[in-house]
Amino acid sequence: MSDAGPTSESRHCGGDVAAYALGALDPHEVDAFRRHLENCAICRDELAAFGEVVDTLPLSSPMQQAPADLRRRVMRAVDHEPRHAPAQRRTAAARPRQTRWTLGRPALGFATALAVAVAVFVGVESNSSQSNGARIIHAQVSGRGTAELKLAGGHAELVVHHFAAPPAGQIYEVWLKRGDHSPSPTTALFSVNVAGDGDVDVPGSLRGVSLVMVTQEPAGGTTTPTNPTVISARLA
Amino acid sequence: MFKPPLSFRHSEPDLRGLADEDLMPLVHDGDARAFEVVFDRHADAAFSLAYRMCGRQSTAEDVVQEAFLSLWRSGARYDRRRGSVRSWVLGVVHNRAIDLFRRESVRAGRDVNADGLVELMRAPDDTPGDVQRREDAEGIRAALKELPADQRHVIELAYFGGFSHSQIATMLELAPGTVKGRMRLGLTKLRIALEGPSGALL
Repeated sequence: MSDAGPTSESRHCGGDVAAYALGALDPHEVDAFRRHLENCAICRDELAAFGEVVDTLPLSSPMQQAPADLRRRVMRAVDHEPRHAPAQRRTAAARPRQTRWTLGRPALGFATALAVAVAVFVGVESNSSQSNGARIIHAQVSGRGTAELKLAGGHAELVVHHFAAPPAGQIYEVWLKRGDHSPSPTTALFSVNVAGDGDVDVPGSLRGVSLVMVTQEPAGGTTTPTNPTVISARLA
Repeated sequence: MFKPPLSFRHSEPDLRGLADEDLMPLVHDGDARAFEVVFDRHADAAFSLAYRMCGRQSTAEDVVQEAFLSLWRSGARYDRRRGSVRSWVLGVVHNRAIDLFRRESVRAGRDVNADGLVELMRAPDDTPGDVQRREDAEGIRAALKELPADQRHVIELAYFGGFSHSQIATMLELAPGTVKGRMRLGLTKLRIALEGPSGALL
């Protein structure tokens, strides 16, 4: 690949594409490279091709048999954690699935992720209002889009509109912050549909919670936030 | 009227006849038995990857357990446009292991000869999907084997070790640009090998 393509910057970026695809750029390089990707179609194409190669790398590992006890532990946990509480199931059934959990197309997700990466934190002051018996908290949002936290009957739901989709392999994760404690992870992970809309039930008790926040994390979520907050709804 | 719980709507033999992509909506709806089938299909590959990355059986088990439970808890929001279920599951396992590295400085290459592991041999009742996966695995292994050692090394350190290019440069006493260049050359050759009609590296 030449770096002197019509949309490429003059900097040598080929090595960055490979390192980025392998997750090997240093943290301080990632944002700059994502900004470069916005303007370099050559790098975007090469990244797509390298991404397919990287996806095959796990298969090169010598195949081992997963221990039988691992299966027992996982399935025991699954059987003890029925995922849909009755209230959540009713809520889910009331909405069309595609507006609830649709993941963006890779290309769209990639492009919109760039928007997240370069976004400035837009200062929409958190405030609340009432609607049909529910308390609505208007959250601060990084970049484009809006977010509301709806509180009703001890249940919380986060609703986003026109929000950027996370990039491939990433998802939004909801956290609960109590006072000065570190944010606690929740099982609420979400993406948005092609219109940027999505919603998610916030699980667990909000007792003592001062802040409901969202970060962009690897698929499956993490136990500690690894990226800046993109949504912040203050309860206190 | 009595409605059976989701987990009993499909008998297991029926579920095992479904493709991954058809199981995922059931998992999304909370069908534990469909999840069990997905686990059974991909647990070996997931464990193999985690073990390669972590180098310890107990740590690899924890990574795989965390990864699968996170998929279950999150509702397994798989989108087939993003690739195969296997790639998706392995991507989650990879991310979990990297996350662990960052938190606890666990690295690959420790206790790699731990007892109790059984390397999988070709089973007589392989399904067509198993055969395809083995062929894919053999393809990428052959392509990696054909790479120049210096290119293969930096790719494996980055992907399986979770090291950044600058960390690799320090470890190998190379300039960062050299490491990036080797990564790019290596991935380019792998792409050609995997896509080329002859399967041979250029």
